[in-house]
Amino acid sequence: MEKTKVYVGLGSCGIAAGAQDIYDHLRENTASDKLDLEVTSCVGMCYAEPIVEVVRGGERIRYGSVDKKFADRIIASLESGDLPEDHVVTTTPEGKEYLDRQVKIVLKNCGIINPESIDDYLSVNGYKALEKAVNEYEPAKIIEIMKESGLRGRGGAGFLTGQKWSFLAGAKGEKKFLVCNADEGDPGAFMDRSVLEGDPHKVLEGMLIASYATGAQEGVIYCRAEYPLAIKRLNKAIAEAKERNFLGDSILGTDFSFHVHVKEGAGAFVCGEETALMASIEGKRGMPRLRPPFPAESGIQQSPTNINNVETYANVPFIILNGPESYNKYSFKNSYGTKVFALAGKIKRGGLIEVPMGLSIKEIVEEIGGGTDSGRPVKAVQMGGPAGGCIPASMFDTPIDYDSINETGAIMGSGGLVVMDDKTCMVDVARYFLAFTQNESCGKCTFCRVGTKRMLEILTRITEGKGVPDDLDKLEELAHHVQKTSLCGLGQLAPNPVLTTLKYFREEYEAHIFDKKCPAGVCKPLITIQIITEKCTGCTACARVCPVSAISGEVKKPHEIDPEVCTRCGLCIETCNFDAIEVV
Amino acid sequence: MGLVNVKINGIDTKIEEGSTILQAATQVGFEVPTLCHSDNLEHFTSCFLCAVKVEGGRGNLVPSCATKVREGMSVTVESEEINESRRMALNLLLSDHCGDCLPPCEDACPASIDIRGFLALVRDEKELEAAKLIREKAPFPGALGRVCPRPCETACRRNRVEDSVSICYMKRYISDTELEELGEAQLPTCAPPTGKKVAIIGAGPAGMSAAYYLKLEGHEVTVFEAHEKSGGMMRYGIPYYRLTDQTLKDEFDAIERLGVEVRYNTVVGKDIMAKKLEADYDSIIIAIGAQGASSMRVEGEDSKGVYSGIDYLGKLAEGQEPDIGDNVVVVGGGNTAIDVARSAVRTGAKATILYRRTRAEMPASSFEIDEAIEEGVEIRFLAAPVKLEESGAGVKVSCIRMELGEPDASGRRRPVPVKGSEFEIEASAVISAIGQKVVPDGIIDTGVGLTRWGTVQTDPKTFMTDRPGIFACGDCQTGADIAVRAVGNGRRTAYSVNQYLNGEEVTGEPVLFNSTMGPLDQVSEELFRGIEKVDKVKMPVIETAKRVTTFQEIETGFSKERAREEAARCLECGCDAADNCKLRDYSTKYNADQQYFGGEIRSYQVDYSHEKIKMEINKCINCGACVRACAEIKGFNVLSYVGRGFTTRMTAPFGRSLVNTSCDGCGECVNVCPTAGIMFKKEYRNESKV
Repeated sequence: MEKTKVYVGLGSCGIAAGAQDIYDHLRENTASDKLDLEVTSCVGMCYAEPIVEVVRGGERIRYGSVDKKFADRIIASLESGDLPEDHVVTTTPEGKEYLDRQVKIVLKNCGIINPESIDDYLSVNGYKALEKAVNEYEPAKIIEIMKESGLRGRGGAGFLTGQKWSFLAGAKGEKKFLVCNADEGDPGAFMDRSVLEGDPHKVLEGMLIASYATGAQEGVIYCRAEYPLAIKRLNKAIAEAKERNFLGDSILGTDFSFHVHVKEGAGAFVCGEETALMASIEGKRGMPRLRPPFPAESGIQQSPTNINNVETYANVPFIILNGPESYNKYSFKNSYGTKVFALAGKIKRGGLIEVPMGLSIKEIVEEIGGGTDSGRPVKAVQMGGPAGGCIPASMFDTPIDYDSINETGAIMGSGGLVVMDDKTCMVDVARYFLAFTQNESCGKCTFCRVGTKRMLEILTRITEGKGVPDDLDKLEELAHHVQKTSLCGLGQLAPNPVLTTLKYFREEYEAHIFDKKCPAGVCKPLITIQIITEKCTGCTACARVCPVSAISGEVKKPHEIDPEVCTRCGLCIETCNFDAIEVV
Repeated sequence: MGLVNVKINGIDTKIEEGSTILQAATQVGFEVPTLCHSDNLEHFTSCFLCAVKVEGGRGNLVPSCATKVREGMSVTVESEEINESRRMALNLLLSDHCGDCLPPCEDACPASIDIRGFLALVRDEKELEAAKLIREKAPFPGALGRVCPRPCETACRRNRVEDSVSICYMKRYISDTELEELGEAQLPTCAPPTGKKVAIIGAGPAGMSAAYYLKLEGHEVTVFEAHEKSGGMMRYGIPYYRLTDQTLKDEFDAIERLGVEVRYNTVVGKDIMAKKLEADYDSIIIAIGAQGASSMRVEGEDSKGVYSGIDYLGKLAEGQEPDIGDNVVVVGGGNTAIDVARSAVRTGAKATILYRRTRAEMPASSFEIDEAIEEGVEIRFLAAPVKLEESGAGVKVSCIRMELGEPDASGRRRPVPVKGSEFEIEASAVISAIGQKVVPDGIIDTGVGLTRWGTVQTDPKTFMTDRPGIFACGDCQTGADIAVRAVGNGRRTAYSVNQYLNGEEVTGEPVLFNSTMGPLDQVSEELFRGIEKVDKVKMPVIETAKRVTTFQEIETGFSKERAREEAARCLECGCDAADNCKLRDYSTKYNADQQYFGGEIRSYQVDYSHEKIKMEINKCINCGACVRACAEIKGFNVLSYVGRGFTTRMTAPFGRSLVNTSCDGCGECVNVCPTAGIMFKKEYRNESKV
C-alpha cells in the first residue's frame, strides 16, 4: 500500500502548542511503511495549532487543534482510508474567511515544505530565480526590476529596495557587505522568525540575488539568539546550499561568489537599528551612530554595506521569477505588493497573515481575524510595535499602505498588529510600550535615556492614580522633545504610542488624572471590584477562589467584597457564573 | 579640499569641506554648547546639547558636533526652539545628576561664605588666610561668629554622621586669632578713587557691609547713623553678654579705618533729608533696619509697665538700666524674647516667657532656649496674654491657654485659644518681643515703593528700588531677619550699586546654577559609609552662677588645638569640579531647573579604589567621553558602557573597581569629562583616607 505523506507544523509556535508531541506520537504509533512523516513549519494559522496535514491524492487536508486522540483517528484513517471530516481548518467557512483575503508571496512555502530540506525547496521552484538572475540578467537589470516592482523595505522605514541596492552597487570599495536584518524584536511580531523557520532558502536566495545585483561578496544574517530554531534551520540551509553550489565560490558555474554566515545577536532591541546592528556585528556594543555616513558609504568595517530585512529578501525571488508586474499589480497609493502581519492580542483568529496593500484595517481585524476573541467590541489596534501607534476603531477604514498608516500617527513597522478590545486601558498600553523602549534604550542620548524614563514615570503615576493636572502637558512637551532630538529611530519613535493614545484617547488619560478612574477597569489602584447584590445567588464560587479571602457571605445569600483586602486580581469575575461581579 | 558656502543664523560663511556645523558656527562667533564632544575624540552625539536645525530637514534637530556642512546649507544654531531643547536636555541630565556643586553649608549661608575653604585653612593652621577668605563675603567674622543662628550647621552633612561641624564659632576663633596676632583686622587694599559718592542710611550689618565692599571698589562712601554707635541691631538688639561692645568696635571700626565715613547721631529725615542725599550723592542705599516694635494687639498694651523688647535692649546697650522690677513677663518666642528674658535675669529679675505655641515651633535658636532655661528663665508654652491692666506697682496679665490647630500660611500649626482656660499673672513689667517692623518715616520722601508688609520694595536680585540709583537692603528690605542675611545682602547690593555707578547694566551679583543632592535627610546613606565618628568640640562657657550676674560675654572661645581638630571634621562636601564644570556653566546659561521633572535618581557608591582617580557615577551624564578617551587616545579600554535604558552607566566592565583594571591613572578620561564623573583624587580631601 502506498505511503501517506503527513506534515506536522513544527514552527516554534506549533511546538509551543504541542506539535512536537503530536509528531512523536504519530511516528511512534504508525508503521513506517504506511506513513511518510514530514516536518514543516508554521502555516500562519496560529489559532489552530497544532496543525497536521495529510496528503491524499495530491490534495492536502489540513487539520487544526490536533491532540493525541485526534492523532489516533488520523492513524486509524491511514488504515481505513476514511479521513476524518472534523477538525479541518482550511475548507470551513472560518478557514476560508481567514485565508481567502490573503495573497501569499513571502509565506507561500511556509507550512507547506520541509524547511530543512533543500530538495523540498527546489521542488517549489527554489533557486530558479537565482538561476534566472545570473543566467539572464546583468546586475543593473536586476536593480531596475527591483525598482519597477515597487518593493519597499519591510523592516519598517519603507525605503525603496531597488534604490537602496543601487547605492551599494554604485559604492566604491573592494569589499562589500550584505546584511539580512533578522533582529526581530517588537513585542507581538513574529513574521521574520516564521519565514526563517519555514522557508530559510527563500531568504538566502533573496540575498544571493541582491549580492549578484550589488557586487557584495560577504553576507551576514544578524539573527537574535532567542530564535534557536530559526538559526538551526538557517545554518542547515546555508550548508545545503553550499553543497549544491548555490552559495560559495563560482556559484552555478559562473564567476559569481557569495559567502554568508549567521551572526547571533544577544537580544538587544536597538540592534535592529542598522548602525547599531553593524556595530554589534563588528563586536562592539550595539549603539546607533549618526547617519550620514549611510551604510552604503561606510558600513561594516567601513566597507559599503546594504541592509535589508528578512521579509524584504523573501520577496525578491518571486519578483525576479515572475517579473515586476506580477508583484506591483498589488498596489495602493505608493505601496506595492503584499505585507505580512503578525495578528495578535485580543483577536479570535490570531496568526501570521499576508495581505495585498490596500486592504483596510477593518478587513484584517474583522474578517480575517474574526474580531475579538472575547466577543467584545474592538477598541484599537497597535501597529508597528513599541515604535508604532494606536489606531482607534473609528479609523479602521484606513487602508494598509505606508502613507495612510503614517498619517494616523502609527507606522507600518515590521508588521506587528496587536488588537485591543474595550477592556484595554490605553494609558496602560502606552505605559507598557514605553517601558519596553525605555528598557531597551542603549543609554547614549539624553532625550531617549532620561526623557523616556521621565515620561514613563509620569505614565506610571497616572495609572497609579497619582497623576497631577499638568502631567499631560509635561508628557506631551517631553514626547515632542524626545521625538525631535534623538539620534535613532528607537528614540525618535518611542513617544508614538503615547502621542497616538493622547491624540485618540485623551479622555481616558483625563479620567485617570481628574476623576481617578480607569474607564477600562484595568489600573488596579483606580478600580473597585464589587458584587451586584441583585444578581448574586450566594453560590460561594467567588469566595472560594479569592486568594486573599476578601469575599464573605452566607451560602445562598448575596456576598460582599472587602475593598480593603481585595487585590483587584479579577479571579472572582472570571469565576462568577451569574455576571454578578463588576468593576467600578 | 575646497571651501563650501554655508549660512549660520543667516550669516554667510565659507568653511573647508568636511567641517562640522559646530565648527562653522564657532567660526562665525556662535558659542554652541556641547558636553560630549571633544576635539581630540571621534564625535559621538550623545548629549544633544549642540543640536541645531538644518533648513529643509525633517524638522528634527541634528547634532552639530558631527553633522558635516554641505554646500548651500542653511542652519539655525540659536533660536527659542533650540534654546528650549537645550534647556530641556539639561533639565533631563540634571534630574539624574546626584551631586552638590556647592557644599550645602555654603549653599545655606545667606552670605555665601566659603565655609569649606576657611575650615580647611584653619585645619592647615592658616587662620590669617581664613580671616581674609571670610571677608571676601562678609566683613564681620567676629560678630557673626558669636551671634549667627547658623543655618549652615543645620545643613551640614556631618549631621548624618554624628553632629554638624562647629562652623559658626570657627569664625569667631579666626577673628580672635587675627586680633591676637595682628591687633586688628586685615583689610584689603581699596581700588583707586572713582570719584563716585554713595550715601548709606544706617550703620547696621547691611549698611556697613555694603559700605565695605563699595569702598573696596574705590567709591566714596558716607554712612548716616541715627545712633551714637554703629552696629545697628547687632548692637541695639543683641545683649553684650552675647556680642560684646569690644567685638563690635573691632569690626565696625575697621570699616571706618578703610576710609568709610560714618556720621553718627544723624537722623535722616530730621537732621538731613533723604532728598538732599539724593541731590548730593550718585547713589543711595537704604539700610534702616526694622526698628519698630510690632503691636501685640492686646487690650491695655499702652499701660504703664509695658515695654517693647527692642526699646529695652536698646536702652541696655546704651548703658541705661530701665526699671522693670523683679518679676518680668516677656511675650514672644524669638531670639529677642530670649535675649530680653536673659538680660532681665542679669538685672536680678525673675523672667517668665509666654509663648503661644510649643517649643517645637519656637523661632529662637535651640541652644539659646537651653541656656535661658539654665539661667532660670521660665517658659510657659501655649499661653498668650489677652489683656494687660495696671495693678499697683506692676501689671496684671490676663492670659489664656492655647492649643495647636491646623497649619497656617507659615506651615506652623495655628494656636487656638482653649475656652475657659483663662488665668492671670501679676508682673512687675511686661516686655513684648513679638516682632519688628520697618519705620520708613525718614526715607518716605525718596518716593520708593513699599510692600504690603511695609518693607522697601526692590528687585529681588539687584536690590534696586523702583527709583533708579536708590537701593535697599537689610531688615528694611527683608523684614526683621538674621544678621548674616543682612551682611550678605549688603554685599550683593554693593555689587549692584557698583554696576550702577560704572554705568553698566544692573544685573546683581551673579548666581551660578547649583546642583544639590537634596535635603539632608534625603541624601544617600552610601555617602557616609566608613566615616569615623568624632565628637563635636564644645564651646566653653563661664559657669551659670556667674553668668546670671553679669553682662560679661559668656562664651570664652576655642583653643587653637581644639579649633584645628574641629576644622578637620569637615567632610569637604561640594564638588571639586564646581568651578570647572560644563554642565554647571550651561545650566546657568540656559537657566536649567534640576527639579523640573523629579523622579528616580541613579545612586552608586563612589569608586575611590584607584590610587589616583575616583569615579563618581552619580555625577556622570553618560556622554561616554571617558570611554572614548581611554580607547581612542590611550588604547586601553578600561571603561565601557554597561547596562541599558535609564541605568546605563560608564564603568569598568563586569562591575570591577577601577583598581582592578589596567588603568595607570594617565587621566585622559579626566581631561575630557565635562563634569565630575571621573576626577583625580584630591590629596587634601577625606577621600584619600577612604
